[in-house]
Amino acid sequence: MLRETGYVLAAMGLMAASVAHANQNQLELQQNPEYWATQLGNYQGNRFSELDQINRDNVGELRSVWQFSTGVLRGHEGGPLYVGDGRLYIHTPFPNKVFALDLEDEGRVVWSYEPDQDSRVIPVMCCDTVNRGLAYADGRLFLGQADNTLIALDAESGELLWEVSNGDHTVGETNTMSPLVVHDKVLMGISGGEYGIRGHMTAYDVETGEQVWRGYSTGPDDEVLIDPETTTMLGEPIGESDLGVSTWPEGEWERGGGAPWGWVTYDPELDLVYYGTGNPGTWNPEQRTKDGEPADNKWAITVFARDPNDGTVKWVYQKVPFDEWDYDGVNENQLIDIEYEGEQRKGLAIIDRTGFGFLLDRETGELLVAEKFAPETNWADDYDMETGRPNVNEQYSTYRQGVDVNTTDICPTAMGAKNMQPSAYSPRTGLIYAGINRICMNYEPFEAEYVAGQPYVGATLTMMPAPTQNGSMEGRMGSFIAWDPVAGETVWEVDERFAVWSGALATAGDLAFYGTLEGHVKAVDIETGEELWRFKTPSGIIGNVNTFMHEGKQYLGVLSGVGGWAGIGLAAGLENPEDGLGAVSAFSALGDYTKLGGVLTVFALPD
Amino acid sequence: MTVFARSCRGILSLFAVLLTLGLVQAGQADEDRITGEAPGAFVVEDGKVDPDTYEGYIIYTRVCMACHGPDGLGSSFAPNLVRAVERRGWENFAGTIASGREVQPGQVMPSFADDPNVMGNIPKIFSYLRARGEGGLGRGRPKIIESMQEQDEESAEKGAEEEEKDEAAEEANAE
Repeated sequence: MLRETGYVLAAMGLMAASVAHANQNQLELQQNPEYWATQLGNYQGNRFSELDQINRDNVGELRSVWQFSTGVLRGHEGGPLYVGDGRLYIHTPFPNKVFALDLEDEGRVVWSYEPDQDSRVIPVMCCDTVNRGLAYADGRLFLGQADNTLIALDAESGELLWEVSNGDHTVGETNTMSPLVVHDKVLMGISGGEYGIRGHMTAYDVETGEQVWRGYSTGPDDEVLIDPETTTMLGEPIGESDLGVSTWPEGEWERGGGAPWGWVTYDPELDLVYYGTGNPGTWNPEQRTKDGEPADNKWAITVFARDPNDGTVKWVYQKVPFDEWDYDGVNENQLIDIEYEGEQRKGLAIIDRTGFGFLLDRETGELLVAEKFAPETNWADDYDMETGRPNVNEQYSTYRQGVDVNTTDICPTAMGAKNMQPSAYSPRTGLIYAGINRICMNYEPFEAEYVAGQPYVGATLTMMPAPTQNGSMEGRMGSFIAWDPVAGETVWEVDERFAVWSGALATAGDLAFYGTLEGHVKAVDIETGEELWRFKTPSGIIGNVNTFMHEGKQYLGVLSGVGGWAGIGLAAGLENPEDGLGAVSAFSALGDYTKLGGVLTVFALPD
Repeated sequence: MTVFARSCRGILSLFAVLLTLGLVQAGQADEDRITGEAPGAFVVEDGKVDPDTYEGYIIYTRVCMACHGPDGLGSSFAPNLVRAVERRGWENFAGTIASGREVQPGQVMPSFADDPNVMGNIPKIFSYLRARGEGGLGRGRPKIIESMQEQDEESAEKGAEEEEKDEAAEEANAE
């Protein structure tokens, strides 16, 4: 009891100024370290737990207490929610089943729900039929179905309360993301950047499902919800109006992508939500030039800070103007309070798709740090801190090299040096823990024709493992790293055979957890990265490791079930650039290590 | 209206292709070339291919790769198609694309019957996958054999002229 009070006080201290805001129920739940009430653990996206029953000294004894097969194949992203009612709430990829499982009764199904969806949505999902999980608030569960239907379920009974359509899969719009509840609204983005859709973030009323606001990623200011006089970019008002139209060739913004399909984070104190937008339409940069010159294609690959009440944009930062590599800018924006040059700052840190680790001021959008966390990164040498723009390396510019030219050895690959797998941040160490990809690519743009509902890609790519440095594992395609977001330096890294496509967890037990594509759950010493424990689940892990406490016992829960882009791109193994045409790949094929199948595994220490 | 007309034409051309199944003699094969009128003809020379096989690669990449993985090699959830075309042959291949297949609940090969871009080009996709297997074509985006590209452009111009004539005739009939 004393211990619990301690936790609550600590949490209240951290969030003292914020109690008047946010969704009260969701905020209270996430302030209680016994619960895992939102996919990223808290609004700030930190995936950190104060629980320390499982710690560095005893983690070696951790064992599986029960497992539950979801009965669904294909990639299982996201993870279980625990809100203190003795149940775990989980979801699956298409057909997006939802299960309430009895935690005390070895996962007995309390209720289940299965939406009725058009299976024609399957082929328009670019990178597997994944779903990143449920959201919870005030006795309701929210799920974004693959077919763009956002639903609210009664958490007690599984009964459908309301449903609303957020898009049209017949034009290539789909959904993979986890919604986020802020105040009395549910926020939902959209997927379909490979189908020439026009991305948007939309808020729906939690009670009724009625649409409250929608902010597009491209197009005129009144549809993006930008005011050029008040919305800032790198701390200054944007000034010029309708950049979301004028930075594109005629009409191309209408199929300009910018799909916000990743995670949304929220600062209750500043009352701002943060998310990033995806790639700008076709992957062929030539088709996005204006008067024969590269154009910024705003606001693709941009961090948006919006007022959750009406969607107004407070500030924007475009990480990659005029994308030439499909560097989707959707990676999570971790909200962290840090000391920067002797001052306390409200920071926003990104382990980005581009291979750069960014640190921004989340109040103003000012760029503070941009350093490579994946040292092989070569598409840009560095960032100009004045303009916030990358200094692109001509040799790896697929635009400069030209249409129908194969630009080779670009790092990282279009999968990104990190994809959707969410990172963790420990306020105790001040470090970010992230699974990353060490893969490079050859990229050849070609002219793509837009046909509604058909892929609008316009580039072909082949991938190969990134070059290794001294001491790294031969042929490795991933790592798990500890990153100092202020110094812009990697503190330690552990190499993995395959890309690390699972979400990380950091705990007060001095541990960091992650999953591997072969199917291991691993616990490492948070200070050194030394492996302390592993367990082999039945299939590769692209889900996130979550933790919670029930009746005085700390549990760990993780969904395994290989898939996602990793399951597509790595299944047959990557090409060895040294091999001749048709040669057998010298690198590991994921298909030799793991096969499909969704399973939830729950772990605890022995009694 | 245009879309409807196009999809009708796509489906009709599939029927035409299906009707010819089994009626055409298998083409002559050497180590990198299968020719003849049957679906699946291809030419591979020094890692380069004929224009139809190349187009098959483009369509594969646009439509099939999202599930079947790069270069026809399969993914964690969809099979290797280079091997599948060898084992199953044209009829099964074209039939599966047209009708789809429910492998098990939640794992579905969708039907592409409504997609003219796919339905009109199944033979080219088939050629590409056969070139990858029997033809020994490597991974990645192939180049077109230069001499064949020129021929193809000439015949495409002729074809376009004929198509215009056809359309003019169709319009005349409709009126």
